[in-house]
This record gives sequence, C-alpha cells and structure tokens, in this order.
Amino acid sequence: MRVKIKGSKEDGGSIHIRWIPKYTFLERLGHWVHASTYIPLAITGFMIFAPWLKHMTHGSAGQSFRLLHRVFAIVLALMPIIYALVEPRRLLMHLKENFTFTREDIGWLKAAVPYYVLGQHVDMPPQPRFNTGERLNAVAIIIGTVAFGLTGFVMWFGRGYVSPMLFQLAVIVHDLAAIITFAMFIVHFFLAVVHPLMWQSLVSMRYGVISESYAREHHAMWYYGEDRARELWEEHKAENGH
Amino acid sequence: MADKYAMYIDASKCMACRGCQVACKQWNDNLGYVPGVRETRNVGTYENPPSLDPQTWTRIKFTEYDDPDRGFQWLFLKEGCMHCTEAACVDVCPTTALKYGPHGIITFELELCNGCGYCSQFCPFQVPQMEVFNRLTGEAKSSKCVFCQDRTTNGLTPACVKTCPAGALDWGEQDAMISKAEARVNKLKTDLGFPKAMVYGKTELGGLGRIYALTAPAEEYGLPKDPKYPATSTLWQKVCQPVGGIALTAVTLGAFFVYLVSRRHVDMEEVE
Repeated sequence: MRVKIKGSKEDGGSIHIRWIPKYTFLERLGHWVHASTYIPLAITGFMIFAPWLKHMTHGSAGQSFRLLHRVFAIVLALMPIIYALVEPRRLLMHLKENFTFTREDIGWLKAAVPYYVLGQHVDMPPQPRFNTGERLNAVAIIIGTVAFGLTGFVMWFGRGYVSPMLFQLAVIVHDLAAIITFAMFIVHFFLAVVHPLMWQSLVSMRYGVISESYAREHHAMWYYGEDRARELWEEHKAENGH
Repeated sequence: MADKYAMYIDASKCMACRGCQVACKQWNDNLGYVPGVRETRNVGTYENPPSLDPQTWTRIKFTEYDDPDRGFQWLFLKEGCMHCTEAACVDVCPTTALKYGPHGIITFELELCNGCGYCSQFCPFQVPQMEVFNRLTGEAKSSKCVFCQDRTTNGLTPACVKTCPAGALDWGEQDAMISKAEARVNKLKTDLGFPKAMVYGKTELGGLGRIYALTAPAEEYGLPKDPKYPATSTLWQKVCQPVGGIALTAVTLGAFFVYLVSRRHVDMEEVE
C-alpha cells in the first residue's frame, strides 16, 4: 500500500509501508459485533440515566426500548460465547494476554501522556500485542460485560424470585458497569478514531494489518519476541545514558 | 408536613368485613372474581386474596396472634400503599409515572409506566404490584393504591373510607389523623385493656400517609418495626448517577482538550 504524503522527497513524494497482519477475521468481526451492539445498548440504557433522555422511557415507548435493549444484549452476549466455541484456545490466549500486567506498564503510562497529548516520541517500555492502555480497556470491558450479563439476568428474570436487596444491588452494579465501560468507550473512540497519531487503528480493525514501523515501535515484544525486545530496550536505554 | 393528608386506620375497630376491598375494586374498576380468568382458592384462612396484587390495591391481612395478656385474637391490618413522605418509589421511577401529588399522595399514571418494576423492588413495604403480561419482552405495568386521587382532590374521601361500616377509617390532614390515633391508643391502653397498643406511621419515612392505631406491637401485624428509606436508592440516585454523570462529562471534555492540544503538536508528516 502506498500512502501519499505531501512534501516527502524520496520515492517521488510517496512512502512505502509494509503492512503486517495483527487481527484475524473473527477478531475483527467480534470487535464490530460488540461495537454495534454496545452503542445501541448504551443509548437505550442511558435513557433512564440522563435527565434529558428520560422522557424516552415513558409508557409503551419505554417498553419498546427495553425490548430493543434486551435484543441487543442477547447478540452482545452470544458473540463471545460463539467465539469461545469456535476458537477456544485463541480466546484463552486473549484472556491471558489482557489480564497480564507488569511493572513496565507503569513506565508505559508515564510515557503515554506526553505521547498522546503532545505527540512527543518518548521512550516507551516494550509492549506485547496489546499495550497497557489496550489491556486496561479490555479488562474493563470483559469484567463490565460479565457484570452486565449477570445483573441484567437478575433484573430481567429475577424480579419477584430473588430478594429485593439482590435486585437493588443488581441495578446499582449494572449502573456502575455502564459508567465505567462508557468512560472507557469515550477514551477508546477518541484514541482510535479521532486522535491524529492513531490513524492506523481503523485500517487495522478493517483489514487486520498494522504497519511494520508501528509494530516495531509500539509492540516490540510481539514483533521481536519478548527476550529480543527487552535486549533492545536495555541497549537503547544504555545508549541514551539512562 | 403541613399539607399532607393521611388515612386513619383503627385496627381495634376493624372487623375484617372487607367492604373496603370491594369498594376499592368498584371505584377503581379493578377485577374481583372472574371465572376462568381471576379465580381464588381456599388456602385455609379467611384471608382473601392471599396478598396484594395488581387488581387488589388494599386488603385486610389476617394474623393469628397469641397475646400473652389477653389470649388468642385476630389482628386485622388494612394493607396498601403507605404514601411515604420520603418515597423511594418516586425517586427510582425513571418515567415519572410515580409522583408526589396533592396532599402528599403518591400518584400513579398508568400511561407513563413502562413496567420496569423498580418501584416494586425499592419500596420498603413491597407494596407496588407488577402486572406482568410477558416476562420475556418485559411488558408489564405497576399498580398501587393512589388514595382515590380523583375523589380526594375533589373534596371526597377515598372509597374505602366512605364505605367502612365500622368507622375504623377516616381521612383528613395528617396532623389531625395523628392526634386521633394518639387519643385512640391512649383509650385502648387505659380503658380498654390493650397495654401494648401503639401508633404506627407518625415518624416512619418522614411520616406515612396511613396512620394506624394498633392493638399490638407493629411486628405482630407483620409491619416492619423500623422501616427505612433504602440506602441502595440513595447510593444509586444520589451518588452513582450524579458522580457518573460528572465523570463521563469530564472524560469527554478531557478527550476534546487532548484533541485540541495534540492537533497543534503532532506533525502529520512525521507520522507513519
């Protein structure tokens, strides 16, 4: 793929990007199924939350929106279950990857602020296939989705069968999960779609590829392997006199 | 509360004729016994129906009570919405179907209700009853006593008060009903031999819309001894939602701010 960038001198004003595969077709499908069900779920859910949306819950309109909420919820919940049946080992790999945090993640978080806010290419500790921010997002979404599912089940089928206290707690946990996952959604949407540095993210979620230079810079442990990435990181730190 | 009205319920005069149940159903067009649709069955007690339900907004609860001083007796309790001054149902209702109406009545608008059922789960007395038409789609409607708001806002008494042949019920300003209940409880204690008689509803949840003169402790009637506004409702409505709203606004504004700053600093010609 050739990207034309104004002012590049070599190669007649175009640069050459080597794309390498990162996401499988099923991973991308899962991402878009989740996105296209989560957003309508958030809209129908926030109707009882946001004062300016509350009139949408009145009477039969509210009943219809609740029905939509439940239909989308079933699709959202089925997606990871089907994925687990089709690619169980890959799902386990994802879970293991995303729930692993090390001391290097603190270094990443420190470097992330000048990088994303000021566009400064500060040294970041080498990262695996998912960087700290992506893993935090994944953890919030996985825990949030499980919480949504359990509490939503209680609120759907449990009324009258479970104790009122359990129902009340389910409502609150559902609410908290909505707040936390939606905050994550705002950050995720901003970084993936709006942020100028992250122009590749939509490409990679559509075609499943990222550029080699981005992989080398941001996912060194995945690109080089863990040991080689650490070696390079140590060399780099020594060179720069850290 | 100055403008609050209340129903006075004298449990010592109630003879459990259940005329109030009939008058309530008649005035509010609620179903009684309908063969094949709404049937009742004998469960070994005179109590009927066995609990409040979507078509039964008030009911006489029968309790067999073995009084240590007086021996066995029936306790008759007229159940129904308590019309709390601090009503959790109003706070958790997302549709505003439940509202504070005139005279401190908790009014209910059927057309606004979407059947979420939060009122039935957050009520400290578990009064609102859900008519569930379809559990799967969530089609349902809540229902409860509204103190015959169409009558009471036009200067009449609720249908049950009007019909009570024993004179056990009365309707008026809450303060007057409290005085009446206190006078009656004094008489029950001193003259009529009910040493444990008590007033219920004077202070509970800011003062209830039902003021009971009881002949035995409230727990013996199955009333909660010290009902509280549910802490979960406060946590949900007063903490989680406002804090969540502020947090989401802050995150959105923060992202926008970062966008403005990063746009100035990122040199797109260097980005691959």
